[in-house]
Amino acid sequence: MHLQFHAMTDNDLPLNTTDMPDQDYVLVECDLQPLESLVTDLETNFEVVILKSPTLCMTMVKAEDSVEFQPFYLGEALTTECELLVNNTRGIGICLGDEPVRSYCIAFIDAYTQLHNANQNPVNDFLAHHSAKINQNAKIEHALILRTKVDFKLMEQD
Amino acid sequence: MGYIAVKGGTDAIHNSQQLVEFYRLKDATTPLDIEQIRSQLRMAVDKVMGEGGMYAPEYAAIALKQSEGEVFEAAFILRAFRATLQRKYYSETLNTREMFIKRKISASFREIPGGQILGPTRDYTQRIIDTSKATENNEDIQKFLTEFRKGVDTEHLAEITTFAKVIDLLKNEGLLKPVDPNEDKTLADITREAIKFPAVRSARLQMMARAETGGLMALGYASMRGFGNVHPTVGELRYGPVPVRVKDASGRLRYIGKIEVTEAETISTGRTVKKKQPPSYTIGYGLCFGQNDTKAICMGILDTGMRSPDINSPANDQEFVLYHTEGIEAMGFTNHLKLPHYVTFQSDLKNLREAIKRSGKQKVEQPVSTE
Repeated sequence: MHLQFHAMTDNDLPLNTTDMPDQDYVLVECDLQPLESLVTDLETNFEVVILKSPTLCMTMVKAEDSVEFQPFYLGEALTTECELLVNNTRGIGICLGDEPVRSYCIAFIDAYTQLHNANQNPVNDFLAHHSAKINQNAKIEHALILRTKVDFKLMEQD
Repeated sequence: MGYIAVKGGTDAIHNSQQLVEFYRLKDATTPLDIEQIRSQLRMAVDKVMGEGGMYAPEYAAIALKQSEGEVFEAAFILRAFRATLQRKYYSETLNTREMFIKRKISASFREIPGGQILGPTRDYTQRIIDTSKATENNEDIQKFLTEFRKGVDTEHLAEITTFAKVIDLLKNEGLLKPVDPNEDKTLADITREAIKFPAVRSARLQMMARAETGGLMALGYASMRGFGNVHPTVGELRYGPVPVRVKDASGRLRYIGKIEVTEAETISTGRTVKKKQPPSYTIGYGLCFGQNDTKAICMGILDTGMRSPDINSPANDQEFVLYHTEGIEAMGFTNHLKLPHYVTFQSDLKNLREAIKRSGKQKVEQPVSTE
């Protein structure tokens, strides 16, 4: 991957303001190798400038009790964040764990999907394919878990 | 007299550290792979993350390897590492109703929303040592995985659903103790500001979430045995991953991954303070990283206990519970006893000798070994 480093403040560039959990979900949960291949293929035709190279940081996880909804902090989670420009459009990648490559790829796709002149088909195809794969794997695991469903009978019952 | 530090001994300390490594490696066995620790010592990894106060399975596995499996030490290492990193994000509040359920049981109701799902548990197994584990190889593992996955019809898989909570059944019927409007609901952060007593409930829950499992269990058990007044029924215990979302620098909500948690709601009969007040149930709440039923349940017991302060019951005393279940501090303090206390002890010894001399009593004969 071609990386250029460039310092820039948070407010220098316009940003995509739409929420994007679905895209993030697939990019965070998919296998790393195909994601890296996708990004390597795409980035050859674009100028990538790194604003913040993948860096470890912490996320404090907030929770709440389920009855009175008392909020409290559960603990922190190791996080990697990355920020870059793709043809001058900013992308931000954040994911749990020590994941420098994945956070870079998420940031790249974040910026790439905001580019008006970029062919979005490879990304859309990737998201569709891997979304289905993640979902299928989760359903298989769910089926295995459901085999432990139990209906205890009381001793007095037949 | 306070503690007087010592100096010197650098070479011996360095050599001691090297000796630790020597004993870890001297048999020249195959190095433990971090991925192996992470997946095959899952429960230990979960415990280290829970007590270290940091969710990072890979780093917890490294810490376990470094500490030769000493969970206290590994949690200490993880918590120290946590302190070196900048906190950049605060997550949106976790929604455990979104959990991908791996385990969901209730001891209170037989029929619960979605049914009782035992999930991965050793609850109903006999604790008989399985000596075949000693010779387990890759072929055995593949054989097990193939067999276990058999019978799942991948063409007709059920959709994944989330489930309503058992506790909602009681809530909807109005059987739960009303929320005290005077309770301080401030969101405290004990990693930024030292806890003060009486502590707000958010601080108590945060401290217990990173407390030591054995400590919580000891006090929870004590409460159930009568050194407290909480002997609850498990309303619901669920375990599985939940999504974590944060707002990025642009203000967009981002999914950043999932963390596994165990959640427990324990039901106790509430004390009726006023005569005209109808009886009700009180709910204790427990939530911790990873799969750890014992910790979540005991957290629920102690949550209930601490809401009825009673200095005669250790499990109802906030300071007693929170300070003494903080495993890393407890371990640190206990182990400081091994460090040189030469000056303090010599001073004490001198005082004792002089006191005996002043009393004019003869030296008391001590029993001696005959060997």
